[in-house]
Amino acid sequence: MKILICLKQVPDSTVRVKVAPGGKDIVTEGMTWAISPYDEYAIELALEVKDGDPTTTVSVVSVGPARARDALRQALAMGCDDASLVVGEASGLGLSRALAKVVMEAKPDVVLCGKQASDDDQGFIGPALAEALSWPHVPFVTKLAGASGAVEAWRETEGGHEVWKASAPVVLTVQKSAKEPRYPSLPGIMKAKKKEIPEREIVSLNVDTSGQTLEIASLEPPPVRGGGKMLKDGDMAAIAADLVRLLREEAKVL
Amino acid sequence: MTAPTSGAGSIVLAVVALIGFGAFAYRALRLYRYLRLGKADPERTGQQGRRLRDELVIYLGQRKLFKRPYLVRGIAHALIFWGFLVITVGTVDLLASGIGRFHIPFSDSALFAWSVDVFAVLVLASIALAAIRRAFFRPPRMHVALDGYVILGLITVLMLSLLTFEAAGTAARLVEKGVTPPPLAGLLVPLVEGPFAASLFTGAWWVHVVTVLAFAAYLPQSKHLHIVTTLPNVYFRTTRPRGALKLIADIEEQESFGAATLRDLTWKQHLDGYTCTECGRCSDNCPAAATGKPLDPQRIVLDLRDLLLREGDALLASAEATGTAPAHQSETKPEELWACTTCAACVEACPVTIEHIDKIVDMRRYLTMMESAAPPEAQKALANIERAGNPWGEAREARGDWAEGLSVPTIAEKPDAEYLYFVGCAASYDRRNQRVAKALARILDAAGLSFAILGREETCNGDPARRIGNEYLWQQQAQANLDTFAKHKVRKVITSCPHCFNTIANEYPQLGGKYEVIHALPLVERLIAEGKITVVGGAEQATVAYHDPCYLGRHNKIYDQPRNVLDALPDVRRVEIEPHCRERGFCCGAGGGRMWMEEKVGQRVNHKRVDQLLAIEQKASSVASGCPFCLIMLEEGVGAKGVQDDVKPVDVLELVAARLSDGGRA
Repeated sequence: MKILICLKQVPDSTVRVKVAPGGKDIVTEGMTWAISPYDEYAIELALEVKDGDPTTTVSVVSVGPARARDALRQALAMGCDDASLVVGEASGLGLSRALAKVVMEAKPDVVLCGKQASDDDQGFIGPALAEALSWPHVPFVTKLAGASGAVEAWRETEGGHEVWKASAPVVLTVQKSAKEPRYPSLPGIMKAKKKEIPEREIVSLNVDTSGQTLEIASLEPPPVRGGGKMLKDGDMAAIAADLVRLLREEAKVL
Repeated sequence: MTAPTSGAGSIVLAVVALIGFGAFAYRALRLYRYLRLGKADPERTGQQGRRLRDELVIYLGQRKLFKRPYLVRGIAHALIFWGFLVITVGTVDLLASGIGRFHIPFSDSALFAWSVDVFAVLVLASIALAAIRRAFFRPPRMHVALDGYVILGLITVLMLSLLTFEAAGTAARLVEKGVTPPPLAGLLVPLVEGPFAASLFTGAWWVHVVTVLAFAAYLPQSKHLHIVTTLPNVYFRTTRPRGALKLIADIEEQESFGAATLRDLTWKQHLDGYTCTECGRCSDNCPAAATGKPLDPQRIVLDLRDLLLREGDALLASAEATGTAPAHQSETKPEELWACTTCAACVEACPVTIEHIDKIVDMRRYLTMMESAAPPEAQKALANIERAGNPWGEAREARGDWAEGLSVPTIAEKPDAEYLYFVGCAASYDRRNQRVAKALARILDAAGLSFAILGREETCNGDPARRIGNEYLWQQQAQANLDTFAKHKVRKVITSCPHCFNTIANEYPQLGGKYEVIHALPLVERLIAEGKITVVGGAEQATVAYHDPCYLGRHNKIYDQPRNVLDALPDVRRVEIEPHCRERGFCCGAGGGRMWMEEKVGQRVNHKRVDQLLAIEQKASSVASGCPFCLIMLEEGVGAKGVQDDVKPVDVLELVAARLSDGGRA
């Protein structure tokens, strides 16, 4: 099976994000960047297929700024076979069309995307890419198996799971699963350091990358959380009464 | 005494000696060739003076046998050992006179006669003690096998036959002219006098020398080989500080990491296996073993030895053969390895200087770096260190937030500060430990010490990464800090965390970083002694138990200074968590990266520690330590046991800060 993963580099989840002056962007200076968490699950899912069948190849591609190379390097360290970078800015439909072009050239059996990127949380690219390719799309997948000319994809549901069968080629978006993304081995890191990551400009794809349909009006950090309140005075009944009163009058949740 | 070997006798004896020593040499050569399968180990040479001193103290002086809980058996062992040394000289004389009809110098002296006899009796008494202990008072972790009894039996035969032939020979007037007759065996003469004395002499003499040679042949098949291997094992023991793990130099050039095969262990690590006496003291003191974990440090050593003995021939036969991976030698091996807290109780207890932690970490290195097979929670911690510079995964930018609103400058703000306070992850992010950092800041202020912190420029020192087995991440973390230290021209470092202290003081020099590093408690001891700060007591007496953090105590021998600080507090009565204090201190369970792993098997180590604390006679109202991780573990322990109102975990620094007199300075 030939798997291609579309990967986005996002601010690391450990970073305390600050809104940039102007309120339309975040401060990126001194930022720690990482692979978007759902994309990491997509990598793990693909590598598990590869663990079971070594003829599987796993490629990663990212469209974004030059720094996204680090995220691709990390994917290689985890065990992906090759990576390529398309340098340029695009989003929404434009990005989907750019990725579709890369996919058409690479001719994979399966394309994996994280179900959403952790920075903008739109969950748009996967389905849009399937649309641009006119391929079937199965969302929120946690497990994958090849079946002659088709794939079987597991979707977690409440209290069980569904197995979907889709003809290949297919686009799947990946949900968090119990299997945590693997930690790269040191030989993996060393090998990844030596691998070439071919790079090209987005204009060389010759696709229409316009189509900015969204504009951020304003960004603001969440309000600072106030301190908690301890109810200690009186017996259990009095404390319970106090609690109900506060929930109703102050918190206004009852 | 005239040897009863005339003509043919000498030849028979020579042949028997050849067989005995030949069998020894044959097996010893084989063991040596197995041992050479191991890697080269450059750190085993140099520092001759220290190595010779170790031989005198540890080998000849038997120093490590006299540890508190093992005193009686330690003395018994020392007597057998010293007796063995003395009597071996007698044995050489016996063989020389039996085969070559000559005596070694001084064998006619009174000193020689007395030494042999006195030790023969002492050895017999000690052997009796050892046999009784084995049979009736077997220590729980002692590995009692036939081997031990065979050895005790052989030594008994040796001593009895010695005393018998001495007595019978004296009775038969066979003491050569000018030779001091055996003084103690001489007392037995009345028992053996008579017409059969000469035959008894001949019989006992032959039994004695043949037993000596049988002993020689048996030795390399037995754990008793330690009487030979301890000599080189002590000589070649590491000269690294105990708290420092081995550096993997030029790590980016290497292709494999850690101990994947027997060939990846060093020859010295194999020598450790040959030297193990199976006494079980390591396991006896191991907090993991004591709480029902699969780890038994003695088995770590012996499993490697047994693997080498089993697979040695195959490995010698083919240079390509790799044999079983030590870290996967048995199904439970990885769990054994991950259970270790690197508390060094085993290393401290081992009488023959076996280095348990290095082996465990080498195998962890293989699991972590080659197989990415560290426990998932540990990998999470590693990923957090990588991304955020702390194992909690808290924001890098928030590292200095604890100091907001305090008069604690960053080094960027105060570039001429004399000391850098390296705060560490725990005191930076953990709310409980932030109070300790604040306490130290108050003390340093009161003493008028010029200090600063790195704030967000600081990153984890790397200790958990290195001990989980990720040497690469440790080197990255260490290098990042070294670069920052260089940028700010740091020379003196204060830490409040023993792990930061140990890593910066003992491990950063491996990467070229040499600083004057001091843990806060020895520093505070000095500040009090010099009158830089004065402490006043409250009205009420507080009973405070001191808990030894492993990385202050056993790893760095900082036992007294924290106690002196407690003793300087007027209203504090210090008590010990007997018998688990000082070098027998019991780990809190957090070391060796265990802080970041789940603990689901057996009793939790910190709960056991709290049990020990509650068991002491003098009820303590607080338990004080000098380590943020001990503090977290003790807090969890007293909480889980519901005794948090009876005994409060604190850091010694908090006790000091709360008692600073106004203005602090005297």
